[in-house]
Amino acid sequence: MPMRGDESEDRACDYLKQEGYMIVARNWRTRAGEVDIIARDGDVLVFVEVKARSGNGFGGPEAAVGLAKQRRLIAAARTFLEETQCELSSRFDVVAIRPGHIRLHQDAFQVPD
Amino acid sequence: MFARVLSGVVLGIDARLIEIQCDVSGGLPAFNIVGLPEKEVSESRERIRSAIKNLKFSFPAGRITANLAPADLKKEGVGFDLPIAIAILMATGQIAGGSRRTLLLGELALNGEVRGVRGVLPIALQTGSEVDGLIVSADNGLEAAIATDKPVFPVKTLAEAQRFLNHEIDIAPITVDPSALHAPTRRTFRHDLAEVRGQQQAKRALEVAAAGGHNLLMIGPPGSGKSLLARCMPDLLPALSFGEALEVTRIYSTAGLLEPGASLVWRRPYRAPHHTISYAGMVGGGHGIPGPGEISLAHHGVLFLDELPEFDRSVLETLRQPLEDRSILISRASISVRYPSAFTLVAAMNPCPCGFLGDPVQACKCSMQDIRRYRRRLSGPFLDRIDLCVEVPRVPADDLFGARTAESSSVVAQRVTWAREAQWARMGDDDACHSNAQLDGERLDTVCMLNEDAQLLLRRAVARFGLSARAHVRIRRVARTIADLARADVIQAEHVAEAIGLRTAGDAVSDF
Repeated sequence: MPMRGDESEDRACDYLKQEGYMIVARNWRTRAGEVDIIARDGDVLVFVEVKARSGNGFGGPEAAVGLAKQRRLIAAARTFLEETQCELSSRFDVVAIRPGHIRLHQDAFQVPD
Repeated sequence: MFARVLSGVVLGIDARLIEIQCDVSGGLPAFNIVGLPEKEVSESRERIRSAIKNLKFSFPAGRITANLAPADLKKEGVGFDLPIAIAILMATGQIAGGSRRTLLLGELALNGEVRGVRGVLPIALQTGSEVDGLIVSADNGLEAAIATDKPVFPVKTLAEAQRFLNHEIDIAPITVDPSALHAPTRRTFRHDLAEVRGQQQAKRALEVAAAGGHNLLMIGPPGSGKSLLARCMPDLLPALSFGEALEVTRIYSTAGLLEPGASLVWRRPYRAPHHTISYAGMVGGGHGIPGPGEISLAHHGVLFLDELPEFDRSVLETLRQPLEDRSILISRASISVRYPSAFTLVAAMNPCPCGFLGDPVQACKCSMQDIRRYRRRLSGPFLDRIDLCVEVPRVPADDLFGARTAESSSVVAQRVTWAREAQWARMGDDDACHSNAQLDGERLDTVCMLNEDAQLLLRRAVARFGLSARAHVRIRRVARTIADLARADVIQAEHVAEAIGLRTAGDAVSDF
């Protein structure tokens, strides 16, 4: 039985706190897209996408963050920075959750040209 | 959060210094390179990111912008990897020291190793007071050190460069003493004239060609030794001077043909392109900034064209201007590049398509029409630029099995050196003229003085054979070289006689 979305996001939040992140916001929504978790890692603002899979099929949860998903995250992050007038450097992380296993990918992707 | 360093870009055999500015600021994570980067420069982002991460440095979050100034000049090549990476480390405080007057050049591997790049020598030649020191790949160290009086520090990895700039380690600068670099005192011969059986006349023609810088055409059946003779030619020429070696190395550096760790090219180049070569391969070209072609790679050396009539006619015709000017200007919409091309042309061809016309043993199978068509592929104006033409017939059986009695290359090379020294002494510092082959007009009259017997003989020959004015000039030039080989100041009748025997390619090919 796969975990529900907010259940896996809870686990991701716990894990990030354990790693020393400060959670700033959860499920931050805008017309352009949604960011699962926004956190601070030291001086860096981190936009986190959480992906959970019950098995290893289809290349695991990391493979599900495709180009279209990246674009939506970037658009949402841009809106967030504008609205909050935040001047911090930022980064995109992905938390991949499998049964009994959690993994953090720092700086998973960047804004393309 | 801003840092800058220096780097450079090659434009032909010249170079321009480039300032690399790097800014790391807040915002969404992005890494952009601006300032007209070509594709390979834009791709450097991935190499830089991997190298920085794999060496456990931190790759900054936020927005990184690298600008290559001046921004209106197209940047190509992979040498910007190292300077951009160092600028990023400087901008993020991972290098505390570091100077904006350091020039860096090198390609990065994904694991942070620094690889050699092409064009280091021309860039190092450009370093003036604005540069304090150079950091290059260990592969390029010697090449850079020869061309500049600034200290050159070789590095193997990005981490080494970082620790050096942080004053955590010391790297000994490469020092070369140009006077100690002078050509090896003992000359080695790759191919020796003594290896070639028979062919006395052809060997003599080769000697004259080498002594006076004359272009040479050899006509003969397959297997008579034309290619072997041509391969002996570069070693007959005198050793390169330091200035000449620098010029040759500059071209090879631009073309990326230097061996890793090489310093100067001391050997006279020998280039023998296949007859399917394109026009861009011959005179230079290619996408982006045009690269040097075979004629420039043969600068100060020998360009050997085997099977001359098989070359594309348009390719041969493009040789006419560089043969005259000793350099080639390649113009493209965005840029013009001039490469030197002072080569000696040695060409070989068969007398007819089957190769056996005039052979005493094997019969020729070609029709007159075939032969005419074969010859017509060479234009008159092109052949006019070849001073010497010699037949290289089949080697008689007696010569093949007889004892080797031929003179070795070292003996011939000594005579050639004497002849060249006489020419240099005569011409002094004249930049336009270095050898007898370039004698023309007034200079020809002052230099090619004939004694009375020689004048009489030449006058008779002109009348008897109906020689053209051009042929007359050529005979005097070649006679000058023959006299130089004999260490004679004034041209004598015997020198003129021998020069008449070595005909122009134009006459020889049309006479056949």
